[in-house]
Amino acid sequence: MARPTAAYRPRRLRLRDGREVTLRAISPADAPEIAQAFERLSAESRYSRFMQHKRRLDPAALDRGVRPRPGRDFAFVATVPATDGIDIVGAAQYVRLEEGDPSTCEFAITVAEDWRGSGLARQLLASLVRRARRDDYTRMEGAVIAGNSPMLALARKLGFTAHPVPDDATVIRVERPL
Amino acid sequence: MNKPWLAQYPPTVPAEIDFGPLSSLNDVLRAGCTRFADRPAFNSMGTAMSFRQLDEASRAFAAWLQKVAGLKRGDRVALMMPNLLQYPVAMFGVLRAGMVVVNVNPLYTPRELEHQLNDSGAAAIVVLENFAHTLEQVLLTTRVRVVVTTQVGDLLPPLKRVLTNAVVKYAKKMVPRWRVEGAIGFNRALAAGRALSLDEPALDRADLAFLQYTGGTTGVAKGAMLTHGNMVANVLQVTAWMSPNLSDGVETVVIPLPLYHVFALTGCLSFFSKGAQAVLVANPRDLPAFIKTLREAPFSVIIGVNTLFRMLIEAPDARSVDWSHLKLAVAGGMAVQHVVAHRWKQMTGVPLVEGYGLTESAPVAIANPVTIDEWSGQIGVPLPSTDAAILDDDGRPVQLGEVGEIGLRGPQVMKGYWNRPDESAHVFTADGWLRTGDMGVMDDRGGIRITDRKKDMIVVSGFKVFPNEIEDVLTAHPGVLEAAAIGVHDDRSGEAVKVVVVRRDPALTEGDVLAHCRQHLTGYKVPRIVEFRSEPLPKTNIGKILRRELRDSGAAPAAAGHG
Repeated sequence: MARPTAAYRPRRLRLRDGREVTLRAISPADAPEIAQAFERLSAESRYSRFMQHKRRLDPAALDRGVRPRPGRDFAFVATVPATDGIDIVGAAQYVRLEEGDPSTCEFAITVAEDWRGSGLARQLLASLVRRARRDDYTRMEGAVIAGNSPMLALARKLGFTAHPVPDDATVIRVERPL
Repeated sequence: MNKPWLAQYPPTVPAEIDFGPLSSLNDVLRAGCTRFADRPAFNSMGTAMSFRQLDEASRAFAAWLQKVAGLKRGDRVALMMPNLLQYPVAMFGVLRAGMVVVNVNPLYTPRELEHQLNDSGAAAIVVLENFAHTLEQVLLTTRVRVVVTTQVGDLLPPLKRVLTNAVVKYAKKMVPRWRVEGAIGFNRALAAGRALSLDEPALDRADLAFLQYTGGTTGVAKGAMLTHGNMVANVLQVTAWMSPNLSDGVETVVIPLPLYHVFALTGCLSFFSKGAQAVLVANPRDLPAFIKTLREAPFSVIIGVNTLFRMLIEAPDARSVDWSHLKLAVAGGMAVQHVVAHRWKQMTGVPLVEGYGLTESAPVAIANPVTIDEWSGQIGVPLPSTDAAILDDDGRPVQLGEVGEIGLRGPQVMKGYWNRPDESAHVFTADGWLRTGDMGVMDDRGGIRITDRKKDMIVVSGFKVFPNEIEDVLTAHPGVLEAAAIGVHDDRSGEAVKVVVVRRDPALTEGDVLAHCRQHLTGYKVPRIVEFRSEPLPKTNIGKILRRELRDSGAAPAAAGHG
């Protein structure tokens, strides 16, 4: 049994390039900001996240995304102050891989274009790994576009191994024990 | 670096190319026109243009661009036409004026044309009148301020010109109505330019020659920056490679592939530098006319893609072509099928020599020796002055015999993509290898075989199609909720585009989807198969699409295409 999920206390992070973000758990109130952040993403970033062209975020998927099921799914957002309150500049989430199997979760990470190379993705993924352990997962995996070398390099740095996907050279599966 | 493939080179092929005095394509032009002055350089619709005539006409056009159109060195000039005599005149004219050629597929839809003109920042365009209506629709939202229009017969002898232009316009009705304020006729520009002097700029190898557009995985075409050095290098590499089979100043080469595509472009420039006559075929899909051209020209070389060679071996009339002068048949752009290679050799007595390259490598990087007796099933070995390696995900060479991504290095490899520093950085490894997106394996003699594709891409008759672009167009249709494009096997085109669509509007039909695609996508990108699904497309729990599962269902009967 998973422990009751402890609340995640927001953290201030100073990135490699000196900029600061706040890392905290996602909340239902973030939905409009997530939608805005999606609008700002390049076609390439959207493709990396969804592996298909996404013109808009499906409202049902957005709703699921901002209401992770405690003990099973989790999502972080990285925020910065903005004139309308905050901007979300990065997000990371995991969900249970298969409903029946509580041992493995699947992750995804998205970072806004102008926050690339700041080390934010690394912070997000490292936090995600720690959090998934607390949810009693023993394995984390993810699908990465084969040409996405920065993500593959980051995953390897954080202890993931890369594996080919049978019959599809365009995707690489990364995984690590937790 | 160890280059095991050098042992495979025929004796006359050097390990390295030597630029000698050539620092630009203009030097290549000058050398060719001096040496082969009165030989025919290009032939179109039965009319030949000599090297001297090409020299004079391209000089005139270059002078007009500088002195009348007021364009400056480095300005981008788009060329939008099929294989006609106007193409080499305009292309060399642009280069001689120190400007940059932007090749445009004449069948582009307004959406595609607008993107390419804006991305390249083209200041001028030379367009065949037949396609001027496309230009007209987007002109005002681009930076193009000089429009030169040409008619099919413009460079034919006077009587033939008038007749041809009249037939195209009035009998065949191939010129949709158009109106572009201030457009000038190609022949008027040439006439004006003949009276003007040209300030030929001193170019070096680093100067940009072409922005050659190629699709991107993000769905947006990007311009590969090919310099004069890249192009001259590939011309020297290709001519060195072909040297066992070719002699200077005697060959006739048939060019049935469009010159706006990099394979035909560099191929044509290579033969040009050897004093060959290039027979330009504007529309090889008009098979009777194509075969008539082949009958009339005693040709010694032909270039093509698998789809085209297949079309020829299946054409009953092709047996009546005199293949006896043929010395070399070069295949590129897409994988050659075994049955096509076999039947081609049976019909012509000459093997298909398969080569490999990318727009980003100007393009030829790997090829079979031209001295082979039979098609090899490999893409070949690296050309002179070219390195190839099989790389792992970190960009490091794998052990011999292991599969990895093919990486390329050489003087023909581009500088990067126009105005896209991030993607340019991405496409090279830390060691400077160009990542091709193709997976392959190298044998102990340096021969390379392609095994798979890492880039999510569909190759239709040698043209690259990126699923993202198709999905972008499809999801812009209000009746489409969700869509994915995948490649499926096709005997003719190698691969074809299949789309899987989830409707928002239950009344949406296959016809609606295809009509929408035709409006926004060039023909080769338009789906061959449309499948409708009532369920959401298969995805992982976190929402990443599973293309593999879509492809698996592609094996289902073709009836699925009519939903």
